[in-house]
Amino acid sequence: MVRLITHNLLACHVKGCTSNNFPLQFKDVQVELREAEFNPDFLRGFIPRLEWGALVDAARQLGDTSLPAEPPEMLDDDFLQKLHHVLLEVHIEEGAMICPNCNHVYPISNGIPNMASAYHQPIHNVVN
Amino acid sequence: MPAATAVKAVTVSDDPQVYEDEHVHSVYDEIAPHFSSTRYKPWPIIAQFLSSLPTGWVGLDSGTGNGKYLPLPQDRPGSVWTVGLDRSRNLLEIAQNAGGIQREVVWGNVLEIPWRAGAFDYAISIATIHHLSTPARRKLAVQRLIESISPAHGRALVYVWAIEQDELSKRSIPTECSTNNPVTDSAKGKDVFVPWVLSSRSASEEKSKIPTSHDATAEANKVFNRYYHMFAQGELRQLVEEAARDLGLLIGSAGEGKGGDGDVPVRGLEIAQDGWERSNYFVEVRRWQSIS
Ligand SMILES: [Zn+2]
Repeated sequence: MVRLITHNLLACHVKGCTSNNFPLQFKDVQVELREAEFNPDFLRGFIPRLEWGALVDAARQLGDTSLPAEPPEMLDDDFLQKLHHVLLEVHIEEGAMICPNCNHVYPISNGIPNMASAYHQPIHNVVN
Repeated sequence: MPAATAVKAVTVSDDPQVYEDEHVHSVYDEIAPHFSSTRYKPWPIIAQFLSSLPTGWVGLDSGTGNGKYLPLPQDRPGSVWTVGLDRSRNLLEIAQNAGGIQREVVWGNVLEIPWRAGAFDYAISIATIHHLSTPARRKLAVQRLIESISPAHGRALVYVWAIEQDELSKRSIPTECSTNNPVTDSAKGKDVFVPWVLSSRSASEEKSKIPTSHDATAEANKVFNRYYHMFAQGELRQLVEEAARDLGLLIGSAGEGKGGDGDVPVRGLEIAQDGWERSNYFVEVRRWQSIS
């Protein structure tokens, strides 16, 4: 699953790529919306951990402009609902994320991002 | 001597990554659907660790497997958010829906760090580092875990298999060392294969993992040997301390870091607890920094 809560944590880690390697840019993504349980207490505690600007940009790339440029001082339910939706209800199912610095491509398939670098590419041994 | 559950001493050969691909990752990819339903009960130390976290924290489960820890804590579900990382794609397909709710999982390697540095408040590494086949790789995995958590307040729990097994464990551990693992090394851990027996007759029945005898049925079973490094007493704590020192961290509590000079923060790592629980060793650490 790649939701924006995870996208906000991911960074390019190709050897030598240490600056401007966050946030990864979406490319050719397929998005699905799915309801998730609203947990305002979690969100209030979680907000200081976010890279807010990166979250707002990522949401706009996906066509959601509901978030303000800065987090508001008053965390009312209306705002928390919008944040909840952006963070936890928008699923990127297919597509890729691209490093803004070195252009490394991290593919997303079936909702799972492949974040292994070229050296550590997993072997393909799918039996199902 | 129960043939099917016997643990065999082995010598790691080849490139360690190739070795682990063959004897760890490809095994888990194949046994994933059968492996998953037999393992779900969290050990007390792990459950307590995850219950003790403040609401709103975000964490990493490095080597999440089937994602059985992603729904925790049981007493406050949803109060923290754990992201799962694993190298077995088939296990991640299961982890994606651990506990019947959609989870966040990432396909990757525990020796890499595909995150913003220090992005997580906490991290757990449960039954993962013992699948790495050299001391250097095990240390690197611990370093990646430490680097993933906040330098100011990050907490991490590492849990590995112990040579010292619970009396209730049905496994027999080889006492003699292989020729390439001389007796002088006996204070350290052991490299072993732990078999996983998959019955072709009843792949959906988990009890089939221990066949009764070597008969025609057993022949139809498929045996997968998983590589483990079984840790000796004190080995995990030493590994964690070495990993932290190599990252330039002081070992000790935050108070001991006072009195540095200038504006450079003094960074350290405290061993909050370590011990043995049900055939496993664990170490819990806390990062801290102080600007004098
Ligand atoms: Zn890059």
